Parts: sequence; structure tokens; C-alpha cells
Amino acid sequence: MVLSYVLRRLVQMIPTFLGATLLAFLIIQAAPGDFTDRFALDPNIDPEQLQRMRERFALDQPVMVQYANWMWSIVRFGYLGESFSYRAPVNAVIYPLVLNSMSLVLVSLVLTYLLTIPIAVYSAVRQYSLGDKVVTFLSFLGLAIPNFFFILILITGVLFLQPSLRQVAAQGGTAEQVLRPITYDLDRGLVFPVGGMRTSQRVEQMSSWERFKDRVWHLVLPVIVVTTASLASLVRVLRGQMLEFLRSDFVRTAAAKGVPPRGVVYKHALRNALNPLISGIGTLLPSLVGGAGLVEFVIRWPGITPAFVAAVKAQDLYIVMGLLTVSAVLLMIGNFLSDVLLGLVDPRIRYT
Amino acid sequence: MAALQPPNPPGATSSGAAPATPVAQAKLGTTQASIVRSQFRKHRLAMFSLFLLGGFYTAALFADFIAPYGEGQSFRRGEMNRSYAPPTTIYWTDPETGRLTRPYVYPVSSQRDLQTLRVTYVEDRSNPTPIRFFVQGTSYVPPPLSLVPVGIRNQMGWNWTASTRLFGVEQPATIYLWGADQFGRDVFGRILYGARISLTIGILASLIALVLGLLLGGIAGYVGGVVDDVVMRLVEVFATIPSLFLLLALRALFPIEINPTAIFVVLVTILGFISWGPIARVVRGLALSLREEEYVQAARALGARQARVLLRHVLPGTSAYAIVAFSLLIPSFILTEAGLSFLGLGISEPASSWGLMLAVAQEGGIQTFTQRPWMLLPGLFIFIAVLAFNFLGDGLRDALDPKLRK
Repeated sequence: MVLSYVLRRLVQMIPTFLGATLLAFLIIQAAPGDFTDRFALDPNIDPEQLQRMRERFALDQPVMVQYANWMWSIVRFGYLGESFSYRAPVNAVIYPLVLNSMSLVLVSLVLTYLLTIPIAVYSAVRQYSLGDKVVTFLSFLGLAIPNFFFILILITGVLFLQPSLRQVAAQGGTAEQVLRPITYDLDRGLVFPVGGMRTSQRVEQMSSWERFKDRVWHLVLPVIVVTTASLASLVRVLRGQMLEFLRSDFVRTAAAKGVPPRGVVYKHALRNALNPLISGIGTLLPSLVGGAGLVEFVIRWPGITPAFVAAVKAQDLYIVMGLLTVSAVLLMIGNFLSDVLLGLVDPRIRYT
Repeated sequence: MAALQPPNPPGATSSGAAPATPVAQAKLGTTQASIVRSQFRKHRLAMFSLFLLGGFYTAALFADFIAPYGEGQSFRRGEMNRSYAPPTTIYWTDPETGRLTRPYVYPVSSQRDLQTLRVTYVEDRSNPTPIRFFVQGTSYVPPPLSLVPVGIRNQMGWNWTASTRLFGVEQPATIYLWGADQFGRDVFGRILYGARISLTIGILASLIALVLGLLLGGIAGYVGGVVDDVVMRLVEVFATIPSLFLLLALRALFPIEINPTAIFVVLVTILGFISWGPIARVVRGLALSLREEEYVQAARALGARQARVLLRHVLPGTSAYAIVAFSLLIPSFILTEAGLSFLGLGISEPASSWGLMLAVAQEGGIQTFTQRPWMLLPGLFIFIAVLAFNFLGDGLRDALDPKLRK
């Protein structure tokens, strides 16, 4: 039963995937000009060479033929085409980008879910308490603050502390000993690194443990920003659900028959309230990639979005398509997982 | 969206046999609209947001009048160089007697510290310059006319200008309530000018998304069959491409450097075009149940055409959802526009938008933010506007949903 449902869902993904990639392909091809335009004005490249370049990348063929070729090479070899500007296979170009974005996104995703449940449960069980009001207020703030503005503020905050931390580093003493292990680079006065993904000058000399620590330090600020954004909306949703279920008849029955309060909240109300959270996984995975986008930009994280913007500007067709394909696949996997999970958690949902 | 209950169609609540809520019992002769209005008034945050946003829009409309300098007016040459000038201090007391006088400012001049290479501004205490009201400044197109697109204005020969500004000081003094950017442009003024774009893009794009979503969703749900399948597959396809990427790819169809009006139109269209999917999905669901309602069946039995039944009977039933969705879409578009302009793909210089101002702030180097925090102010305004629209949407939802009424 479950297996046939899973299979059918997988088959249903195929037309959606084809439609989405075709749409993207058409949009990109509809843009005026192509990649070779930037060479057209270059006196060192003669028209013949330009023509050869067009032929090599099959830019002279009809759009549908290009699309069919591209799709066929994905299906057969998993090959996403060749990047015009990097002069390298797209797979090799985007692999590290996707990995970098994922490291940021997955940490935020895990943190979001770990934090959402206790915060929302607390806030719903103690409705209108001071804590609940604070949570509601903060989640409104989290929803309204643009990601790229939030990270700018955090960076400003770190830089604001810089002069006094430098002084501490210079003076030494107990203050320095206390602060050194809990700051990223006390000598430069930085609590957290304010840009990039690693400390580039020293990365070669580091042991793998140090490298890991270095990466964690660089993750702190972007993870805070990305997590608060998704946390804010999820807490609001889960709190609303919890409130609804806490007032429902079966929860009152459970309490009346003597189930301890903890059991009432977690076993009866929360189990039911979790549904939208699980169906949210599907949209969360790709939206985190997109949402981390502007943050990646500000903090110079070598992830998907900065590369995508650069590729769009350079009309590097297959890089754009490659990144779109990867995120579309992520999204479909997310939706698929959440549907299957929803069925496992909620016995009312039948696989039909 | 998930928490939103399908609204009762208007006919069902007001003409039903038993009043559904105590509110409906309260007074005879209360209409649906008056109930909603009084419910909305009880939502204090939503009311406050309504007034706040009203203030924002009024300020945006009269931006030219309120701002002391023109949108692109810069001070960056020689004596008048005001690059990154801090907010001007306004004095209220006479320096000798210490008594209250009319407000005045001192002209400033820049000095470069040769060791740190930092520019600091020093006040020239010998030359107090009073702040004057209703002064003549650079000319602009006055408000009601400024809403008409430039092309039409030129064609019709409507080219009246005004040059009265609310306040100003005589040069060489300058007045920057919230400091200046790197070209010596007034941040206060540019926030007002930017509001015109940042606050209208959201509304217009939401309108487009709403109309598309209502029509396509309504048709899909009401007609059903193949049409339904096609529309819903289309929604799915759109939902499969991450919206930021779709947005960027569509933006690439148009040149980066085009005039501000064209960019404005392009952005509004793209934003509306990529965001109708979720609305269509919900509207379709509502239309599916509404088409079985008796009043819709009756309209059909009377021989009304399909289009009429859809537009006059089915879609009005989704109005509660549509209003809430509309008010909650606006803030998301404000955020998206800010993000795009921040990336340099939205509104371009010398026009101003809140996202663009933040991009300019970042260009000066993140490291120097602590020296000129006022450059971050546009972000605060994005934040406040989005927050206010969210509260407004919440208030509307509570007011329109009979189950949530107090």
C-alpha cells in the first residue's frame, strides 16, 4: 500500500520536473542575446571563432533541441552541461556551492525544529503569560525584519564591540583569559567572523579539528539570521495549532480521565498539532536555500545564490539551469518526504 | 495561510435561521460590513498600524514638499562636500543668553584627520543659520500631478512645477535630519522618496497576483475538468522553482540599466506574475465548495452565463480570504523589492528605494558602519512597514472570520 503510493508519487514528479525545467529554460533563452555577446565586441576574436563557439555550445540550434539535448544528457549521464564562463562541467562548478549552502541550511533547519517545539508548546500552554507575550512579540519581529538587514545589524554590533575588545586583548589579565576562548579572534577584536566561510590565510596549516571549529565560528551569524526567520513563522503556526487542540474535546477528556498534564500536552495535543510542521518541511528545505540567499550575499558565503546572480548576469545558461534543477529537485524531495512523513504520523491520512 | 478558515459566503451568515454569533444578535439592523468594522476597531495593534501606514503614505505623497533637498541633489564638491555628514544638530537656545530662540544650525566643514584618514565635520560657530519654513528649494512636480506617469504628462503638456519646501537652511549651512550618504544626499529625504517606490510596489504587485489568483483559481474550481488540471499543474510547476531564482531569471529578460519607471513596471509585473499560485490554490478550493451552494445553483438555474455566475456569485464568496491574502502579500513584496534592489537588480540610482539605500550603505564598506549608523535607517523603515502590514492583515483576518470574533 505504502510502496505503491510512494511509487505513484515518484512518477507524478516527472511531469512537474519537466515542466519546471522547460519553463526555466524558455525564460532564460528568451533573454535578449546569449553568452557569446560579450565576445562580439572583442577585436581579438573574429566572427568565425564566435560562430565556432556558438556551434560548440549548440547555441545556434532551436531552443527545444537544446532543451532536449540537455535533458537527455541529465537522464543518461547525470551531466548538467558545460559552463560557458568557467569552462568546466556544471556539475563540478556547482557541487561545492550546493555543499556550502547546505551546510548553512541544514544547521539552521535542525536548530529551527529543535527550538520551535519547546517554544511553541510553552507559549501555547501559558497563553497570555509574560513569556507568551514575549514570544509572540519576537516572532512578529522575526517575520518583519529583512534577512539582509538583520545580518547587517549583527555585523554592526560585532564591529561596535571591536575597539573595546582590542583593548582587552592588549591589556591582558583575567578579562583576556575569560574572553579568549569565547571569542573568534580576540586580537582583532572580533567576537564572530563578519564575512566569508573560513579563515582563508590559515586554513592550510589547520588540523581538521581546528578547521571544523573555524567553520562553526563562521556559521554563527548567518545561522542566527536564517534560523530566526523560519523559527518566527513556525512558532506562530504551531502555537495556533496547539491552542486549537488544547481547547478540543479529546484533550479535555484526556485531562478528565486523569492523564498527567505532561501527557495531555505532549501525547494528545502536540501529536495532533505537529501536522502543519511536518508538511512545512517540504517548503522549508528549498525556501531555506532561497532565504539564505541574501544573507550569503552580505556575508560573502560562497553558496548558491551569489553564484546564481553572477550566472544570470553573465547569461551562463547551464549554470543557471543546473542550480535551478538542483533546487527544484530539493523542493520535490522535500514535498515527497513531508507527504510520506505526514502519513506515518497521522493515521487519518490514508495512502490512496 | 493554513490557519485561515474558509469564510462563510455572505448570504449564508446573514440570512441563516439562527444567528451564528453573539455579535449578530447584539443589534438589529447591523450589516456584515458594520460588524467587520467594529471588530477591526477592537484590534488595537491593527488600528495603530492602519494610522501609521496612512502616515507613511501621506509622507510619501508629499515627499517633495517635506524633504529639504531634491531626490538626487548631492553635495560632494569642494567647500560643499558633505559626504557621510552626520545628522545636523539643531539648536534651540541662544548661545549667549541661554534663552529659547527660533531653531538654528551651524554650517559644517569637513576636515580629514591625517593619521586615521577619517573625515570629521566641524561646526562653524560664528555663523548661526536659522531654519526657515516654506522656503524655495529645487523644483518638483506637485503631488496630485506627480502620480501621473511622465510620458502622459509630457504629451498633455502638464508641466507645472512647485518649489516650496517645508523647511530648509541657507547655504553654506546644510540640514540633514538623519545624516547624509556618500554623495552628500539627505538620508531623511531619500527615505521619503524611497517610500514612494517601496510602498507602492507591494500594493500594485499584490493586486496583480490577487486578480490572477482569483480568476485562474476561480475558473479552475468552478469549471473543473481539464481546465482545473491545467491550471493546477501550472501552479505546481511555478511552485517547483524557488521564487527568488524565478524572480532573478525573469529579471534577466530586461536590461539592468533601464529608466526607473520601466524598472518599476517590470518589477510589479514579475512579482505579481510569480506569486498568484498559492492564492489560486486556495481560491480553487473555495470555488469547489461554493459552486454547490444553493444561491449559485439558483443563479445557474435562472440561466446566468458561466462568466456571470463566476464573477457575481462565486468569487464574491471568496472576498474575506482575498482581502486577508492581499494585505499579507504586500509585506512579502516589500521585502522582495528591498532584496532585489539590494542586489542591484531593482530600482537603480539616482532614484531611491529602501533596499537600494541599504545597498549603497553596504558599498561604503561594512567595516565603517559603526562610524555612520544612520545609513542603516532605511532598513528600520522596511521593518516597520512590513510589521504594520502584518498587524493589519492579522486584524483583518480576525475581523472577517466569524469564528474569531470577540
